Amino acid sequence: MKKMKKIIAVLLIAIMGMYALAACGKEDKPEETSKKTEDQAATGDKKEEEKVKPEEEAKKDTVRALLPPVSGTYQDNFDKWEKEFNELYPNLTLEIEAASWEDVTSKLDVQVQAGSPPDIAFVGSGGVPKYLDTELLIDISKYATSDMLADFDELVLNYFKNGDGIYGMPAYAEVHGIGGNREMLEEAGIDWKKVQKEGWTYEEFREAIKAGTVKDGDKTRYGFVFACSGVTAKDYLGIFVKSAGMPSPFTKDLKYAYTSQNFLKLLEAMRTFIDDGSMPKELSSIDAGKRWNMFLTGQTMITGKGLSNFERSAAMNNDKLEANDGSAVEGSIKAEYIILPVPTFFGNDLVTSGAVDGYIAFRGVEEPTEEHLQNVAKAMYFLASGEIAATTCSELMIAPVAESARAAAANIPVPENKIVENSEAQAILMEKIAEARPDITPELGAKEQRIMDEVVGPKFQALLAGEATPQEMYDAVKAAAIDAFGADGIVVD
Amino acid sequence: MTYGKNSSSKKRRVLSNESKWGYLFILLPLCTFTLFTLYPLFDALIISFQKFKPLKTEWVGFDNYITTFKNSLFYKSIINTIVYTVLTVPLSMLLSFVIAILIAPLTKRKQNFFKAAYYLPAIASGVALSFVWKWIYDPLPTGLLNRIVHFFGVENQNWLGSSKTSMLSLVLMALLSSHGTSIIIYIAALLGIDNTYFESAEIDGATFFQKLHYIVLPLVKPTTVFLFITGVIGSFQVFQNAYLMTGGGPDNSTTMVGLLIFNNAFTYFDYGQACAQALVLTVIIAIFTFIQFKVTGDGVEY
Repeated sequence: MKKMKKIIAVLLIAIMGMYALAACGKEDKPEETSKKTEDQAATGDKKEEEKVKPEEEAKKDTVRALLPPVSGTYQDNFDKWEKEFNELYPNLTLEIEAASWEDVTSKLDVQVQAGSPPDIAFVGSGGVPKYLDTELLIDISKYATSDMLADFDELVLNYFKNGDGIYGMPAYAEVHGIGGNREMLEEAGIDWKKVQKEGWTYEEFREAIKAGTVKDGDKTRYGFVFACSGVTAKDYLGIFVKSAGMPSPFTKDLKYAYTSQNFLKLLEAMRTFIDDGSMPKELSSIDAGKRWNMFLTGQTMITGKGLSNFERSAAMNNDKLEANDGSAVEGSIKAEYIILPVPTFFGNDLVTSGAVDGYIAFRGVEEPTEEHLQNVAKAMYFLASGEIAATTCSELMIAPVAESARAAAANIPVPENKIVENSEAQAILMEKIAEARPDITPELGAKEQRIMDEVVGPKFQALLAGEATPQEMYDAVKAAAIDAFGADGIVVD
Repeated sequence: MTYGKNSSSKKRRVLSNESKWGYLFILLPLCTFTLFTLYPLFDALIISFQKFKPLKTEWVGFDNYITTFKNSLFYKSIINTIVYTVLTVPLSMLLSFVIAILIAPLTKRKQNFFKAAYYLPAIASGVALSFVWKWIYDPLPTGLLNRIVHFFGVENQNWLGSSKTSMLSLVLMALLSSHGTSIIIYIAALLGIDNTYFESAEIDGATFFQKLHYIVLPLVKPTTVFLFITGVIGSFQVFQNAYLMTGGGPDNSTTMVGLLIFNNAFTYFDYGQACAQALVLTVIIAIFTFIQFKVTGDGVEY
């Protein structure tokens, strides 16, 4: 009896061990799956033979994609898209794995480092140098047809370019700017329609947000609030710096640009907004949620970073307020969201900050076949163009960036409460989007990223909190840049 | 004599059989430990001498360690971590001990209620907690904590956005939301003290503080040492709060070593550098633990 107990215990341990190690098992690769079916056919598995002919079986392939909820109903359509793709290419299967925005990057990064990434992933084009460094990123221009690539707007497609390679296809391009409350803008005497068309200078903007700041006892309605908590502080600087003569962290001759005197002048100018009282002194800890709440509750006239779907978000809240719906934002007021350009500094032209997101392709540690990579290109184009891109862009209230998507978008009705002037402003801002810089090597990009994360971002937070002067921040950035790029690798003016 | 020899060898054989079963039973945890703890540790050691890439890893010798020791941010993060540890561990233990003393004399039902209430934050998602704390630390005058300090005539503070208050804010968050486990362990230790000690102390006319000093503190010393050492180790590895609340800012005033290692590994994909920094942290923790054992561990056995 005692022995029996021991044997049972050992068996249980063995079973537990098998369960523990089961997760480490190797996943079936598409090639292996097809080999398995071939083997089954060879060994006379009649059922399988009846289903598919051997020559069709050889061409069968599966493309895996890891996709976040890009727009409101994006992830609801995965089953439909998988089916449509299979109808378009009967020998191909598209397997889409859904991931939340919170964990999509960590999920992808772990898979990439383990050498088994998905075939397709959705990322911001800024992520290309990072993944390029792993040598797992696929130059899709080698496998996509020229028609596929020609479908995209060149300026936008170039955001996925590095060196001579094209490492992805764009889903959309969105201008990151600022946006204002129509009523408050008009109250402050700002001709927002003119600003949308002609832009405004730093001096004009400074006066406008001063005029938009209203003190009422203890309460202040600010002229301008930008989300600056944590990493978002870099967005504020990154969006404004482009119209101060530094559209990229590197000049055309690949010198680090943020050591220019214009950078120092920009820091001084950005600090004046707080010193004037037009922006809250607590700006450094206002996060994205808080600043949107401040906009909807009438605590600020202009907010940033502005996204185009804010217009819809504000309109939806207005509808709820009108309908006396309890789910409207607590304390909110009716607000029409007006898209505005960022100001230009020191006589420089307006250059807008573009967030170009889209699909990139990976290989695993094992060498993929040429045919598989061509299939990946087909799946990527399927997701990035036509009706899928049109629907996604429509939900995000932005213009598509592929010809096929524009054609498909013609059949999608424009939302009822869309402000016409916003669409026109968006088109103008899209034309001014910063030029992509495929000439910046991954090594230079990685160094710049580190300076941005370890010096520029933290020092800018200190500047906003009033704990560092513009000069101190400039000196720290210059010292880090010389350390990284050498005295010859930076702009000296 | 012969009988004795036979008996001893039989006993040894029996023991040996028992040992075999013992080893068999610990085989699974041993394998799991080797596979998921020991192997990654050795792998991290190897990677710390490499520039790791999924397809082509290069051997770079001591480069990652040299870069680590040349990096001023690494030293800043070590200092931040030490400051955080010095502020959170003793205060958290003191708070847990006081709360445990208050809970221990209560009836079983009341004890269970308070244990559950204090342990609740430990099972809550860190992300959810950080949202609540961000709301508490709202920098505008309407923020919860700012309303409280306003009551005392202090103007509103930029809790997470200023380097003067950011570390303090993280410490306060840690103090008020992560001592559930310590309280439960302390209560268990307090309830394990034989009541006869207190009865005889009462007969001798001992005061509350005398009982605390001469009975409670010596008898819960093993628990205190255990909580102190594990608290210091946990505090050195802190990452989540800084990552979710401040992202290490402003001006790197809350960048902890854990966050720096995370950034190197997952933001820059520099696994070699991350592993080197993680191993340096391991050595630092090991030194601190050794000193703690030497200083506080006298007469304590586990």
